[in-house]
Amino acid sequence: MANIDAAGQSVREINQAIRQRIGRKEAVTVQNPGARHNLGVALLEAGEVRIAGSVGYYCGGLSDGASIEIEGSAGWGLAESMLSGTVRVHGSAGSGAAAALRGGTVVIHGDAAARLGVSLKGGTVLVGGNCGYMAGFMAQKGTLIVCGDAGEAFADSMYATECYVGGKVNNLGTDAVLAAMDPGDVVRLEETLATYLPPALRKTKPRAVDFKKVVSGRKLWNFDKRAWKIWQEAL
Amino acid sequence: MCGIVGYFDKTTANQTAVGERLLKMLEALACRGPDSAGVAMFGSHPPRYLVAQVKLGDGDNLAERAQLVTGLAKEFGGEQFSRADAYLRFIFKEVDNLKPFLSKIESVGHDVEVVSVGRRLEIVKEVGSPGRLEKAFHVSKFQGKYGIGHTRLSTESVVDLSHSQPFWGHGYADLAIVHNGHITNYHQLRRIYEQRGVRFYTENDSEIVATFLADKLRQGKDLEAALQSMIIELDGSFSCLAATDKAFGFVKDPFSFKPLLFAETDQFVAVATEEVALRGAIPGNYSAREAQAREVKVWQT
Repeated sequence: MANIDAAGQSVREINQAIRQRIGRKEAVTVQNPGARHNLGVALLEAGEVRIAGSVGYYCGGLSDGASIEIEGSAGWGLAESMLSGTVRVHGSAGSGAAAALRGGTVVIHGDAAARLGVSLKGGTVLVGGNCGYMAGFMAQKGTLIVCGDAGEAFADSMYATECYVGGKVNNLGTDAVLAAMDPGDVVRLEETLATYLPPALRKTKPRAVDFKKVVSGRKLWNFDKRAWKIWQEAL
Repeated sequence: MCGIVGYFDKTTANQTAVGERLLKMLEALACRGPDSAGVAMFGSHPPRYLVAQVKLGDGDNLAERAQLVTGLAKEFGGEQFSRADAYLRFIFKEVDNLKPFLSKIESVGHDVEVVSVGRRLEIVKEVGSPGRLEKAFHVSKFQGKYGIGHTRLSTESVVDLSHSQPFWGHGYADLAIVHNGHITNYHQLRRIYEQRGVRFYTENDSEIVATFLADKLRQGKDLEAALQSMIIELDGSFSCLAATDKAFGFVKDPFSFKPLLFAETDQFVAVATEEVALRGAIPGNYSAREAQAREVKVWQT
């Protein structure tokens, strides 16, 4: 286990040190992250990175294969455009978490702020708490799971992403619809929850069978002038 | 950009080094706003007195201005005068109506501005970095219970002392705000207030937030209700902190355009644009959460 003390080092130096260590197949712990931006961005190899505290913006963004564990909270743009790997946050995440995610898994034990998983292009996003305004906007593929309540304009203008919400869904976005959970959905959801949430946290969340499924109503997939009303309301 | 910060001590009456906390938080956010820095701090002052901070002007005749303002302030029972940089600070006897005081003091020159008046509130600002603010006003020495601060990246109005934040709710004792964002119906609202006789001191759209909240508080709303009405009546982006002698709170716009997060423990509430400000200023094990769109939170003093 390699320790990197972030205090007094530039972000470039910290990231270079992380890359060197995971290149040597060493697990890395970053001490004193101080909520600084761009930590662990563009890590292109598999490797274990533990961050002992909070991170600022874009942590894990553009990464491909690394497994990052953040013991505090995360700022805006967590794991943005990540290709593969895992990013796990013990606290909450700022706006735009997992935006344009292409693959891999992003797990947030606490809440996610606005624009969670917008333009999601693949992978899995799992939030233990609530999510904020406009989560899943124009999401294309992948899976978005929120154990708590969904915020305003949830799943607006989506393509083929599947969303699951354990709490309240009071305000669906344009063309987002509730769908029936089939037995396969329940099995896959339970497997994901059991795999990625710590057992003690999993116990406090709803049963997989009680989640609501939200998908695209597909009315915005192709323009139809007879359905002009929905286009008027679409963002 | 811009960075805003707030700190509220839950434990002591008035004895926290709130100035030092705010300064450290601002220093951590200085890269978000190199143009100016300022703080509004709430401490305690002699009963039945108000404390005033007056900007003496933009020119080099500040000593002469200080004499003129001192003379006029004495008519209102002004005492304990002290000057730091372009600011003159003094206390004067409490009045119900601030209007005669303000018009008298500001009659000295068009660039003379009463920057704050309050039983507890004091605002100081400086062009440049938080370090310059400290050098001019020794902010870190200020003891109090809570305060808010701002570091500014100017986008649409000039860089000078008056255009810096925090803004006082001019004429409404003890109301201060800091704002990160852009109020897009600013001109429309400003015209409405100007027709009612409200004077604006700057071209900065953030000034309207202070004017707006002062108006709502005068109508009898509490701070929480006033902040809620921002969500309905102000357009654009705003992450905003506001404080009065009674309460301290924040509001975030319906689209969550601008960042703002907060941490709350049994000891304190800390609010900042970025978590780096919290971690840089407040040691210890606590968690922070980004505020949600339309979220309003208020703590009573």
